[in-house]
Amino acid sequence: MRTVDERARELTPPSTPALRLRGISKRYGPVVASDDVDLDVEHGEIHGLLGENGAGKSTLMKILLGLVQRDSGTIMRGDTPVDVHNPQAAVALGIGMVHQHFSLIDALTVWENVILGDTGRIDRAAACRQVEEVSRRYGLPIDPAARVDRLSAGERQRVELIKCLRRDPSVLILDEPTSVLTQAESAELFTVLRHVVRAENRAVILISHKLAEITAATDRVTVLRKGRVVFHSATRDTTPPELARWMVGRDVSLRAEGAALGMLPVDGAPPAGTAPAETASPGTPPSEDTPPTEPPAEPPAEPAAAPAPPAVAAAPGVPSGGAATEIVPALRLSGLTVTTDGVTVLSDLSLDVAPGEIVGLYGVEGNGQSTLGDLLSGLLLPASGTVELAGRPVELERPGALHRAGLGIIPEDRHSSGVVLDMSVAENLVMKSVGDVSGRGFVSRRKMHAVARRLAAEFNIVAPSLDAPVRSLSGGNQQRVVLARELSAGPCVLVAAQPTHGLDVGAIEDMYRRLREAASGGVAVLLISTELEEVMALASRIAVISSGRITGVLPTAEATAERLGMLVGGVAA
Amino acid sequence: MTATSPGAPSGTGRRLLGLLAPRTYGWQTPAATAVAVLAALALSSALIAVTGGSPSASVQALYQGSMADWTAWTSTLLYTAPLLLVAVGACVSARSGLFNIGQEGQVLIGALAAAWVGLRLAITGPALLVLMLLAAALAAGAWAGLSSLMHRLRGVNVVVSTMLMTFVAQQVVAYAVNMPWLLQESRVGNAPVSPQSNPMPPSGLLGSFGEYPGLQVNGGLILAVGAAVLVAVAITRTPWGFRLTMLGRNPLAAKHAGVRVNALGGAALAISGALAGLAGAVLLASPVGVNRLQPGMAMNIGWDGLLVALVARNRPLAAVPVALLFGVLRSGGGFLAATGVPSFLVDVVKALLVLAFVAPPVVVALARRRRSGGRTAGPRQEAAPVAEEAIA
Repeated sequence: MRTVDERARELTPPSTPALRLRGISKRYGPVVASDDVDLDVEHGEIHGLLGENGAGKSTLMKILLGLVQRDSGTIMRGDTPVDVHNPQAAVALGIGMVHQHFSLIDALTVWENVILGDTGRIDRAAACRQVEEVSRRYGLPIDPAARVDRLSAGERQRVELIKCLRRDPSVLILDEPTSVLTQAESAELFTVLRHVVRAENRAVILISHKLAEITAATDRVTVLRKGRVVFHSATRDTTPPELARWMVGRDVSLRAEGAALGMLPVDGAPPAGTAPAETASPGTPPSEDTPPTEPPAEPPAEPAAAPAPPAVAAAPGVPSGGAATEIVPALRLSGLTVTTDGVTVLSDLSLDVAPGEIVGLYGVEGNGQSTLGDLLSGLLLPASGTVELAGRPVELERPGALHRAGLGIIPEDRHSSGVVLDMSVAENLVMKSVGDVSGRGFVSRRKMHAVARRLAAEFNIVAPSLDAPVRSLSGGNQQRVVLARELSAGPCVLVAAQPTHGLDVGAIEDMYRRLREAASGGVAVLLISTELEEVMALASRIAVISSGRITGVLPTAEATAERLGMLVGGVAA
Repeated sequence: MTATSPGAPSGTGRRLLGLLAPRTYGWQTPAATAVAVLAALALSSALIAVTGGSPSASVQALYQGSMADWTAWTSTLLYTAPLLLVAVGACVSARSGLFNIGQEGQVLIGALAAAWVGLRLAITGPALLVLMLLAAALAAGAWAGLSSLMHRLRGVNVVVSTMLMTFVAQQVVAYAVNMPWLLQESRVGNAPVSPQSNPMPPSGLLGSFGEYPGLQVNGGLILAVGAAVLVAVAITRTPWGFRLTMLGRNPLAAKHAGVRVNALGGAALAISGALAGLAGAVLLASPVGVNRLQPGMAMNIGWDGLLVALVARNRPLAAVPVALLFGVLRSGGGFLAATGVPSFLVDVVKALLVLAFVAPPVVVALARRRRSGGRTAGPRQEAAPVAEEAIA
């Protein structure tokens, strides 16, 4: 093994960039993931790569690592064009990556994880020595004999770093490295990176959506949007507001104005008497024969808990601006804190949603949204904080308490907790109200089918039959099953987590229409989404979540690209 | 093609295709099963021929021992009852997604509890039998419940713990029949004492219907069939069964829908144990054995009962004929061994038949997936949006 000094000498400038990308493009079918991207990364610099979800950061890095093949463009190491066919080639070229989600095996020790993938005889002593050597050199204290599942998130990240640095990469890529770290651990990490860059002249690419991090830690920054490089600058020549604007995009403000003028566009009543099945086709939102604003015809008897929607329907549909506080909020989250493995995933999160209002919870993926979704699905309990529905606190530890209190939810991952794929459409539709379709101790198939038929017609669910397993339905129809079930219980609050994820255009339009109808029927809707367009199109207020806390709540009319970008980046605007 | 195929653009077209989908493969599984069973029988005959026996004589012997006359039928039904009880219990736990495979031990614990009640409590009349059955169900249910407790408190895998508890159960029964103060038989004069209990008192035996030379139907069989019907109704028709199925198919969704996941899973495990325990009591109290508690009295009924549930695909009513088939193999197998064919061949035949019933659905599903180019209706439909995720 060459010593670091030799390596460093070898790397010191000829002033050509360590890595040069020219015209890199990659498309997946109609989706352009990477569009003619140019990128230069110099030796001895930390290069920030900023962008929202889906901006093309990860695709670019996967191309560099040989995990994805580019359609066109050149990759140059120094002055020579290279080809990265596979991850081994990337390693040979000195490109190493620390992934956002750890690729460690819990049951193995640190040194075992570090040498994983090596060939040849296993030499425990040598491996441990090497781990210790690397950890000393970079100030990453770790016990090589410790089992990984006993380590904190920060320590695991250290192991990932050691694993990567041990191969002596000249270009080091870190993908959202601080997403699971505490503040102190993040600071530590950046100290190490500084060292790696300054003392050893390596190049570091730091992928992040956190503005503070980018401005504090990088030398130069490139902003990606929709697969393109939209901005490039030395970090000291730019400001967080400017970066925010570039990251979120200029067209947002236009949309915001549109939304402000129209406020909540509620669809007019569709032509009555149209048979739903014939008109249903992707692209056109299917019409239906019941007026949209009518709450479900016969809300299943849930006498004690569920407040009837009509009672709140009389309240003014949308409170203008943020003045939602005069009425009792239908949903009040206060001080919710969730900690897993020592990392605070949700931190003192508080949010109110008034009856008839759609509040969008917007943020980059992985900032606590799925944890909030799980919490509101009753799948996990907060360390502290309360959930109140219509002014009454919910006993979260009782199974099904949220549902009984009148909270409906479209979970983020419908396959894992929204539906039971192997049970029938009818069974999935009555899943939460089996009691209502049973009499004298038995489930009545007749009643179940009657309910299912009504809901399938009302929500335009296209299924081979009501007895067909939900597995055989399209994604859009599966989502309609979830929506129909949740709304049929007559909830006072509907939480929709990424409700249009993976749906086609027609199904998305349908979902938007249903959410608006629900809101105009008096239901408080909390829309958790990473799609800004979705939030802008539906919500009257936007709450931005970053690192598990609400960084700001804006009326949609006032949500400019810059302010949203700052909030998303974790900077109060 | 399925309802979710991107190649079907119009809503009506998709609906039509969807209507066709479930019917196109309805006949394939039964057909494949028939072929597999024939293959298993052919292979079995070949095996018998290779080991020097005559396949036709063997079939004859199997028939003689299990179905040829009332005596043979009586013996077949005596085996069927405990097999069915175990299988019905296995259906309950498998439906909940918790696989109890420790029935062999639960059978023994049930027999132990029944024997203790029968021999140590001074009760006479029909109450004794009822108490024996109750004790067997409670003890074995609690025994299986221990596994559920281990799972909940320490995350111990249920499959592993139920199986290992079998070996503990065997030791417990062996201890009980070796300790005079517990259940070992009383010394009579200077005769050597065996590791077994005293025989059950007459009021602790399950009666039979029918006269000796004719067909005798033991009370155990009625109990077993009753349990099968009861469990079948409970699983398919009650809200409880609905929740149980939900739990088994998607625990997360069940929890989300407000099911008390731990309590329901624990109950399912305990019920499956209780039914295995009843099987133990039936083994002890019916004329299938010697009506004494013996360490070897479970006779692999626990394991075979699991196979019955496997072949019946966890449907309690389907388990009735399957248990009968296994009863035939058991009582016929004993007779077959007497004709000189090695008795382990019966076990091989049994294994081949189990494979013939279990494999076809899987094979058909795999073939279907391959034919549709790796696209199935369910999770795969997300294939298109994946491209978007890749950009993130």
